[in-house]
Amino acid sequence: MGIRRIRLLLVVITLLVLQTSVFTHLRVFDAVPDLLLVATIAMAYESGPMPGALFGFAAGLANDLFLTTPLGVSALAFALTGYAVGLFQTGLIRESRSIYPLLGGVGSVAGNILFILIGGIAGHDELFAAHHIQVIIVAALYDAVLANAIFPFMRWATRTDVGRAWPPG
Amino acid sequence: MVVYRREPQRVLLTVIIVAGVALIVMSGRFSGTLRSGAHDAMAPVRSTVDRAFQPLRNVAGDITDYRPLQAENQRLRRTAADLRGQLRRNRGVGAEVGELQKLIDLPNVEDATGIAARVTGGAPGNFDRTVAINKGSAKGMRVGYPVVTGEGLVGTVTSVSTNQATVTLVDSPNLGVGVRLETSNAVAITEPRTGDRSIPLAFISDPFAQVQKGELVFTAAVNNAAFPPAIPVATVTSYSKGPQDLAPTITVAPLVNLDNLDFVKVLRWPDPTAASG
Repeated sequence: MGIRRIRLLLVVITLLVLQTSVFTHLRVFDAVPDLLLVATIAMAYESGPMPGALFGFAAGLANDLFLTTPLGVSALAFALTGYAVGLFQTGLIRESRSIYPLLGGVGSVAGNILFILIGGIAGHDELFAAHHIQVIIVAALYDAVLANAIFPFMRWATRTDVGRAWPPG
Repeated sequence: MVVYRREPQRVLLTVIIVAGVALIVMSGRFSGTLRSGAHDAMAPVRSTVDRAFQPLRNVAGDITDYRPLQAENQRLRRTAADLRGQLRRNRGVGAEVGELQKLIDLPNVEDATGIAARVTGGAPGNFDRTVAINKGSAKGMRVGYPVVTGEGLVGTVTSVSTNQATVTLVDSPNLGVGVRLETSNAVAITEPRTGDRSIPLAFISDPFAQVQKGELVFTAAVNNAAFPPAIPVATVTSYSKGPQDLAPTITVAPLVNLDNLDFVKVLRWPDPTAASG
């Protein structure tokens, strides 16, 4: 296992621990941040659509283990978000750090909408609720703020991969 | 060249989507074991973080933060809550109902033994209405056990690992509770809505029942019920019935403050020893 993969694994474990312990106590207007979703967006921003999708799938699956919705809902939602952000980021000017909260917030909205759609189709009708508009907006603001910390963290985790094309080989 | 690079991407994306859909479809078969393992792995961390956050919660809740007084205060609050719950149960199990229950030999809440547990945190996701508690199957916890405080019903245990359990709260849209209205004894089912702390009642057995604002709602006494009868659940907050309406619109508010839970009691219900007896 390469150093990069070990770093990414550490990132997932660290963010998962924070998500399931610290941030369950820091709920604001019924919303908590989606740390692993923001990490997925950061991964897609740094490495492109396919690494974003693969990381999103793994991170989402880890997230699913602590939710009551079926396994795979977060995995699929995060993977699609990572892929979409990865496609979108190719047209971005990559110098400014101000893009982090913007991407974090917009990606969070997209990821949560996908989560609701996939979860709803999987039989959790209660996800289609007007109240969740408020939750998505607050969570997006939360994610936008935390993106300032998570993006540099992900840049550190992915840095050995600089200049490497996807797919490998 | 572009085609060469994009083709594997499409294949991989398709594989990811198919894998995700397959996981969702087969989730019911193996999610319990996987989730139980993950919760067990995370239990020590959650417990430590909960302890770390306790002083912060104490400061927020009580600015004096004088520990002996605080402990005494907590004990008295629990006693008061227990007594309020007892009073409500007494209201719920009125003379007639109590006699009927004896006649048909229905078990009640006093028959159920409990497991005291501490709430270690809320849901880690944005769309769940659950809390985690610090007792699991090692202490005899099982899926389906009702969870109460001295004030009334909190919810039900929906997943269990060795040292932790997840409780779905009574105002979660995933949980419907069979209830009985205090005055009329009409039976209904709670039908919580997402994000709404007040709960509408559905399928009321007597559409012409006289309902008063402020009256209590208890778990209903029926055979093989998920909850023991006569646990206070909520108070009626609104009642309306127009001349054209077939059934009244009743909403209730949970008695327990579900956003500020500390200690709970998990009832062994149905009593695992009852089957052998």
